[in-house]
Amino acid sequence: MPARVALKSVRRRGGLFEGIASNIQALAVAVKYFVDPQRATLLYPREYIEHRPGYRGFIVFIKEKCISCAACARICPSAAMKMVRVTEPDPKHPDRPRQKQYPVINYQRCIFCGYCVDICPTEALYHVPFQDVVYESLADMFLTLEAFQVEPKRPAVAEGSPVVYEVDEERGLVKRRR
Amino acid sequence: MVLETILYIVAYPPLWQLLILGFLGSLVVAMVAIWFERKAAARVQRRIGPYWASPRLGGFINIVADMVRYVMQQVIIPNTVDRAAFILAPIVALVVSILPLAFTPLTPISLYWPVASMEFSLLIALAITTIPPLLVVALGWAANNKFAVIGSMRESYVITAYELVAVLAILSGAAATLSFNLVDIVEAQQPLKWLAILNPLAFLAAFLAVLMSTSAFPFEIPESEHEVVAGPFTEYSGVLYALNMGGAYIRRFVYAVLLSLVFLGGWAPYTPVSEGPIAGFIVPSLIVVAKATLLVLAMSFLRAVYGRYRLDQALEAAWRLAIPLALLGFGWSLALAYANVI
Amino acid sequence: MRESHTGTSSGEGWKLPGMMVRRVEREVYEIFIGPQHPGSGHMRIIVRLDGDVIVEADPDIGYVHRTMEKLSEVREWLKPIPLLERMTIIDACNITVPYVNALEKLMDKSPPPRASYLRVLLCEINRVASHLYGFGIFGVFLGHSTMYMWAFGDREVFVELAEVLTGARLTHTYPIPGGVRRDMPQDFPEMARRAVRYMRRRLEEYRKIFLDNPVIVRRLEGVGVIPRNLAAELGIVGPNVRASGIKYDVRLVEPYEVYDELDFEVPVFEEGDALARTWVRVEEIKQSLNIIEQAVDWLERHKGEPVIPKEDFDKLPKLHKEVYEKTGRVKLLPAHASMKIPAGKAIARGEMGRGEIVYYVESDGGTTPYRVRVVTPSARNAVIFKYIVPGHRLMDLPAIYGSIDYFPPESDR
Repeated sequence: MPARVALKSVRRRGGLFEGIASNIQALAVAVKYFVDPQRATLLYPREYIEHRPGYRGFIVFIKEKCISCAACARICPSAAMKMVRVTEPDPKHPDRPRQKQYPVINYQRCIFCGYCVDICPTEALYHVPFQDVVYESLADMFLTLEAFQVEPKRPAVAEGSPVVYEVDEERGLVKRRR
Repeated sequence: MVLETILYIVAYPPLWQLLILGFLGSLVVAMVAIWFERKAAARVQRRIGPYWASPRLGGFINIVADMVRYVMQQVIIPNTVDRAAFILAPIVALVVSILPLAFTPLTPISLYWPVASMEFSLLIALAITTIPPLLVVALGWAANNKFAVIGSMRESYVITAYELVAVLAILSGAAATLSFNLVDIVEAQQPLKWLAILNPLAFLAAFLAVLMSTSAFPFEIPESEHEVVAGPFTEYSGVLYALNMGGAYIRRFVYAVLLSLVFLGGWAPYTPVSEGPIAGFIVPSLIVVAKATLLVLAMSFLRAVYGRYRLDQALEAAWRLAIPLALLGFGWSLALAYANVI
Repeated sequence: MRESHTGTSSGEGWKLPGMMVRRVEREVYEIFIGPQHPGSGHMRIIVRLDGDVIVEADPDIGYVHRTMEKLSEVREWLKPIPLLERMTIIDACNITVPYVNALEKLMDKSPPPRASYLRVLLCEINRVASHLYGFGIFGVFLGHSTMYMWAFGDREVFVELAEVLTGARLTHTYPIPGGVRRDMPQDFPEMARRAVRYMRRRLEEYRKIFLDNPVIVRRLEGVGVIPRNLAAELGIVGPNVRASGIKYDVRLVEPYEVYDELDFEVPVFEEGDALARTWVRVEEIKQSLNIIEQAVDWLERHKGEPVIPKEDFDKLPKLHKEVYEKTGRVKLLPAHASMKIPAGKAIARGEMGRGEIVYYVESDGGTTPYRVRVVTPSARNAVIFKYIVPGHRLMDLPAIYGSIDYFPPESDR
């Protein structure tokens, strides 16, 4: 069944009594919320949101699973991933070091689209479910290979308590402590 | 003995009325009004409003911090303005706004009036309240900026709309009691024959007139942010900006004191039990200030409910709705006086 | 008021301009509602006034031009999707679905029904969120800050729904050529139904405090009337044209995705003033809520189907199938990074929150598009400033601006 057109018209303004009634109605709604605001404000950093596991947050690298295919660097829309070449000892030939390439990330450019995580054929990249990470200088946002393998720390965890938001039919978005 | 001396000095009428109640009291009430406006709007809008500065006090210290910031901010005076008017107009406007408080008695005991006689106090107070808007027009003109001039022009149009309403509505208090003496008007309303209950039309007209005069929603037209950036106050910064912005709230408070004396019964139902400074002066004045503060808070609440009128629609609302209402209220007051009700 | 000399003069020293007064015409003066103005958005409107009446209004756009069409020419086929959705990030799915449809026309692929329903679900969630954003900005232009806060607060509910579905609040990047990137979580249908019931109740309260508020009705009634023939002649699109009596909606005339299987109405008003445009958006929100309910019902009944075409799903390696079974996430093949699309030209249209969007995609067989041309609804609505605003008062300008829901980043691309 395709869409139908519905012709409607705006209700025209009434007279004096309807004007007084609409004024009183507007004031009544305002007083109702003045008495019971139904707030859902997040008092960050005393509280922080614990997102679901599917949330596309910061990206972490697992070096053992990487096969150096460079698909992540090729698919990144904002050129935030780059492959670097490292020389490392080869576990199968201990006296002959090998050259491999691994990805590093520049968080000044990352848009958290998740293409790299989805394209990696060995699941060597994964998202952590938060994005409120703090860096103290711009240079720190160019992660080295070692830093890329470590899960970033979330400063709010130290001083706050986690909350979760739920959709409620009466009150809209409701905050619940975990 | 020390306490009595201190009380005598503090309750000295010109000191109490103009300096403590006038300047300090207006400042405190303006801060409470701004705090309530932000907090009430926040509650209606389902958010918190001022909070982090003092979580236990509901964020009141935030407003105090704003005042301190304005005082310490750099006052930038552009080269192209008319310096004398630019600097003097807000200051003179503030002083003239507080002046009507010299003529509003806060107690029936003549020992505590700031001027010798309150015989024509209603007329004089009402007359002085009409002066500050002219200074607002002057300061917008002095700023030499298109947005400021448009804001000043709007203020002058709005003046022509509400002046008549304010004067007629408040004079209906004189019409009801056949006297211009504010003390007589209040005494005639003892203990609970308040004029707001006997003559609601005039009270409504006076309330609307005060909303229009002090740019409260829905009449916040000269300073509407979305066409003229801040209206006449566009070029101001620092302490002059604070004087301008606070001036609207102070004028609201002064009008509210006048309204609470004429319509809400002033210090009724209380009659001073003795002539001492506390029972005879401080208690009735605090009752009047409490009623005035309630009126100011009610005006602040409207911010959360209404949008802005267009300029010509506001003038039309004044001429088509408020002036007939004020005339009807005036006539009703005369009828009340004829029937010896009050 | 002092007139000052502007620029250089003969040896008088350097004088700052005062009020720049330039004789435009007798009794006409000019003000710039410029980019640094609380009521202008990311654009400048040059307004010429005779007293309080606007004589001429000239939109000065281009402040947010980000060269998206040119950038698409140097990025491989999947990369323009996050780029193009940032034109109107609040309406992200609606703006990328036509691009993906154009690619599917060139590749001769079509998404399975479950993917189409998921795309429509996210499109309608975005439409509700975008209309609420428009209401918020409209409210604050009229001075009604409560409408602003309420609209943005209720928009949070729908942004939260989108976050549960796609993993990101606004930058979904959800459709890919062939299907979508994720399947719906198990608890999503119940959440969506609760959100729909909540929004229906809130629309009643919006009516009481904003739409029937006497001050607002007086400001909007009869303001910015766009007559029907002028609307057709100017070529404006979206709820603006449906408020002037023209029955045009891309979901009606050329249904894409699964819109021809869903049961909904397209509201059309005839007055053409700002109040009618606002009511069109309110009615559209109600219809979008109906569509969300129908989509969620269908998705719950048809579980277990894949969200990319069956032939692509069967060719996926074992790890990819395992990840899809466990988390519902579709993994791309590394070949997607440099996929080639057969040469050809394709046009696809969609109906965004603000109107009709048209994509023209041309491929020469390579890994990047040869040309991507996009015509956004706000770009077509910009002429309203020039033709409708003159004749109104200065305070009507924010009312008209808010009612046509003009979004400068979308217009400037």
